[in-house]
Amino acid sequence: MTRIACFVEKYNFTYSDEAEALQCFKQTAEQMGHEFNFMFRSGLSEIPKYDAVFIRATTDPLYTAYVVSRTAWVLGLRVVDDPESIRICANKIHQYRLFEKYDVPHIPTLFLNKEEFHHRQIEEIFELFGKPVVIKAPYTSFSKYVEKVSCETSFREVAKRFFRRSDYIVVQKFMPSRFDWRVGVLNGEVLYVCKYMMPKGKWKHGVKRRGKPSFIWGRTVTLKRDNAPQRLKETALKACSVIGKGLYGVDIKEVNGDYVVVEVNDNPSIYRGQEDLRDKDIYEKIIRFLVE
Amino acid sequence: MHPSLETVSTVIVNFKYLNGVSCLLLSGASCVLVVSNIDLRTNAPITKPSAFLKSSVRDFILNVNNDYRYMKTGYYVSLHAEILGNSVVPTTENAIDAYRLPVLLVRASKNGTPVMPYILTDSVKQIMAEFNFPVVVFAVNPFSFNGFQTAKNRTALYRALKSLSMNYRYAVCAQPLHNEILQVKSFFGECNIEDDGVKEIAKKVYETFKIPVCKLLLQRFDGEAYLCGLQPLKMEEILPSDVDMISKIVSRFSGKGWFD
Repeated sequence: MTRIACFVEKYNFTYSDEAEALQCFKQTAEQMGHEFNFMFRSGLSEIPKYDAVFIRATTDPLYTAYVVSRTAWVLGLRVVDDPESIRICANKIHQYRLFEKYDVPHIPTLFLNKEEFHHRQIEEIFELFGKPVVIKAPYTSFSKYVEKVSCETSFREVAKRFFRRSDYIVVQKFMPSRFDWRVGVLNGEVLYVCKYMMPKGKWKHGVKRRGKPSFIWGRTVTLKRDNAPQRLKETALKACSVIGKGLYGVDIKEVNGDYVVVEVNDNPSIYRGQEDLRDKDIYEKIIRFLVE
Repeated sequence: MHPSLETVSTVIVNFKYLNGVSCLLLSGASCVLVVSNIDLRTNAPITKPSAFLKSSVRDFILNVNNDYRYMKTGYYVSLHAEILGNSVVPTTENAIDAYRLPVLLVRASKNGTPVMPYILTDSVKQIMAEFNFPVVVFAVNPFSFNGFQTAKNRTALYRALKSLSMNYRYAVCAQPLHNEILQVKSFFGECNIEDDGVKEIAKKVYETFKIPVCKLLLQRFDGEAYLCGLQPLKMEEILPSDVDMISKIVSRFSGKGWFD
């Protein structure tokens, strides 16, 4: 019997689909004969009592989740997401540098330094990538801190905001599409495949409505992993191979029949009735990976 | 930093940097490339972070910076060195660990450093159940400059927790406060304080995390020194005498092998 702690925060239970998925993890683990407990911030001192830690709260080296991951790692526990994966996936600069180094096909990308940010450079970027371009903060997640700009004024405004927390930011070519592929990968194997559709008239999966605090999300269309295009799955596995052996969600765009990686996320969202719709065994596979 | 960035903007390579590389090529593998944003006074060539981030030098990299915080230039220097496949001090892993208080304390105590007991929490009740007043509360969130506050009573603790946890959005790290918090500048594990306990902690922390320039937070209690935290130094906190001390150590390193 393995004792698994699942690190979550209150917001993981906000959406019923996500809360139900967490219950599925618990049930599956218990059916397999393991102990599975939810661990909140107040229970962090209990990490040493467990054999494995499964993190579902948002990860970033500056959040509590990283402290949990790193502590568990140092103590020799099995961890998903492991600290190395968090470091690479939470910082898009780190990630795209690795994609370049290992020739993973990805969206044309530039890095912009705070100190060398001036008029001529913006013009040159627009010449190279055309208008508009996409600016990403290295710490982007859930479609936040990704913005599309098509003039110098808005470029400066967005860049200035992102430079507050990072001395480097990412600039990418704008590639519109009806959907992004999302390939779930665990330990070098495809776990699930779905399409994250863009909301009507929008260019990213999650967008804030103008003048309102609420976010709207596109639909999720799930495929059976065996029926998904082979080249898509190969591209996803190649992207994950440069990062590690954990659990990832790879965003891929299909451009004229080619697959280019948008980004690899650690801690991919798993909602009941969405990611697990066509392949019901994903809970079991993840638990089995945790207790191996 | 990026090959195609060079096609976008003309890169001006400064002379200091070119001298640095040629020296390295002449003197062979035992040489160390020192990257620093501090104006060191040494014979060893010093490369500025901005020049290093555009280069593709293959060598041992010694990254001397006042601030290695995640996503700041000091961090990206170490990251760039690692992606090029170089050995670097400090590594990005250590840079993050050292500034994340709970991880710092876990790893330091594993290595035999005396550390203050602590809890990671966002609840006043839990802190009060664990420790007696006064207590010291450290921020563990992405925004503050690793600040801390002390609290003598319940009201002060509520106030400290509310501000350092950013209205309970993030956790904080609480420790008992037996004595005032001592702030010690540590350069490569050496410090200017005549106290064996403190000197030993500075040495041990450097052994574990290899953070060349930092400020250690300590408490003295029952004649012993205990590690409480580690923070980046602000540029204005580095005095000319400190620059001399760093320069001396850097010259020593670049003269012979310093990786252990």
